[in-house]
Amino acid sequence: MALARYIAAKLLAGIVMIWAVATFTFFIVHSLPGSPVDAALAQKLAAGIPYEEAQQQIQAIYNFVPTDSLWSQYRDYLWRLLHGDLGQSISYGGVPVRSVILDNAPWTLSLAVVALLISFALGLGVGVLAAMKRNTASGNGLTLSGSFLHGIPTFITATLLFFIFTTKWPVFPYGDAYDINVTPGFSGPFIASVISHAILPLAAYVISGYGAWMLVTKSSVVSVLGDDFVVAAELRGITTGRKMRYIVRNAMLPLFTILALSAGYLFGGSLFIETIFNRQGLGALQFNSIGARDYPLMMGSFLVLTVSVILVNIIADLLYPIIDPRVRR
Amino acid sequence: MVIATADAIVDETEIVAPPASRVPLVIRVLFGRPTRAVATVILLLFALMAIIGPMLYPNNLRVDPEHIFAGPSAKHWLGTDYAGADVLAEILVGSRYVITSAIIAGILMVAIGTAVGLISGYYRGVAESGLMRITDFMLTLPSLPLLIVLSQKWKFGSPLMMGLILGITGWAFIARPIRSQALSLRERGFLEAARGLGLPARHVIWREILPNVAPFVAMNLLLSFIGSIYAQTGLFFLGAVPYSSTNWGVMLRQAVEGGALQASSAIAYLLAPMGCIMLINLCVVLLLDATDELFNPRLRG
Repeated sequence: MALARYIAAKLLAGIVMIWAVATFTFFIVHSLPGSPVDAALAQKLAAGIPYEEAQQQIQAIYNFVPTDSLWSQYRDYLWRLLHGDLGQSISYGGVPVRSVILDNAPWTLSLAVVALLISFALGLGVGVLAAMKRNTASGNGLTLSGSFLHGIPTFITATLLFFIFTTKWPVFPYGDAYDINVTPGFSGPFIASVISHAILPLAAYVISGYGAWMLVTKSSVVSVLGDDFVVAAELRGITTGRKMRYIVRNAMLPLFTILALSAGYLFGGSLFIETIFNRQGLGALQFNSIGARDYPLMMGSFLVLTVSVILVNIIADLLYPIIDPRVRR
Repeated sequence: MVIATADAIVDETEIVAPPASRVPLVIRVLFGRPTRAVATVILLLFALMAIIGPMLYPNNLRVDPEHIFAGPSAKHWLGTDYAGADVLAEILVGSRYVITSAIIAGILMVAIGTAVGLISGYYRGVAESGLMRITDFMLTLPSLPLLIVLSQKWKFGSPLMMGLILGITGWAFIARPIRSQALSLRERGFLEAARGLGLPARHVIWREILPNVAPFVAMNLLLSFIGSIYAQTGLFFLGAVPYSSTNWGVMLRQAVEGGALQASSAIAYLLAPMGCIMLINLCVVLLLDATDELFNPRLRG
């Protein structure tokens, strides 16, 4: 029963958060100067189309009534949002925002998930190592490297990788997610092309993500190492392997809570990485929509990014009782 | 985004406090180890650069159209940019914007974050849950896209404006850990005693709780400072923000736009601002553990 209430509370908090973000996004985006609908309207008026007719055309294309009050636009927006309708993209000529986002999301998500898994595994391994050797030169070196790598911004890592491996030594191809010469499909050359195009962006994600995992793992393992149960287990003479299992299982708890944080971090990184490597994806979509003042797409992609961060948070909260039995009580 | 860990605090506690001496504590701690001394000196040099750098050159940098994207030479130590301007001069001139706005943003983030964390950790009830909902909201919003959207609304022309916006949007990641530390301190004996004595809340928060979280606050001040450097150079790098004067982010932007990524000879132009940013990062990382010795009274003799 307590668990059901815990889950219900987390879900409710998530829904309220999504509403807050949707509202915030709507009003901040609508307070920006220079609307493309105004520009399109002015264009049609200048072409000699009567005002009423021009407005109807715009409404037909963009599903948007420019003269409505902000409040009724907001109500309209929320109502359509409840039905999964994010409106029509302006820069894509009236294509539904939902399908634009769905077309681009897999490229970002697949890369982000693989990057997350690699940096998690790497950070966990190196973090445990750094914790075990914490008072030696090599241990301190590992920690310092983690802090330093964690500190380098994603755009610097990505730009350097790009410069070194496509300009200086053209080892990896530049731009897009795969070669335009291969036809997409489940074939060897296509998969090889996708992988070779993904390596540099992936490396950029991992290099900037790994440091955080490593540092948190290290400090978490160090704090568990001093716990009474570890000392007791050592005195009982358990094997090193079993001891490590005890320690890692306990030390993983804080890692789990920063998983949610890192989801937001990854999406922030996707903006840089997709822009620098000229790939398609949610980050690039978001950036381009801002430049094109494509309000519906801007709101849609911002909302999708935020909602996925919230969802990751909810999932982390829901999985927490499984990982930490103490919460279940 | 920078995630702070309690690392520095865990590792350095075994250090025995040096005997009290006439040398001020700050100098003893910052120059106590060679790595720290080097880091401190480099950071001081950057501060000096921000103060006097822009005074050394005229408002419009002299360009040398004969040498575009030139490599390092005796005349141009760090080479020249796409228009033939001296890169070293641009680094010096551009440092003021970056460092000033990062200092403003860092102080603001830490001030708001600490205040929100302490207040919501001390008071129970409406104030606490309201503040924490706002904190959660700020943590959830993806900061970079948010900054890009905001940059369309407000112009980030002055370092003050840039610092204010970064500070107002970036404090949430400090508020949360400060709150949980305040919550756990709240149950400790000395705080119960303080409350039992009927000391006013203001006194308990600022005089009793704050000194206990001071090392963490100081560490976050450093992390916020470098985080703000990244955020703003990143914004300029993306070309999301219109600019009128030069700074390191603008240099990166112009290097990429000018084709430095495709020309090997322009590597110095690209590396100079990056190198400055990474050097500051390294120095700050080396100084992180010093904050504990500076602000934790238990480590002193």
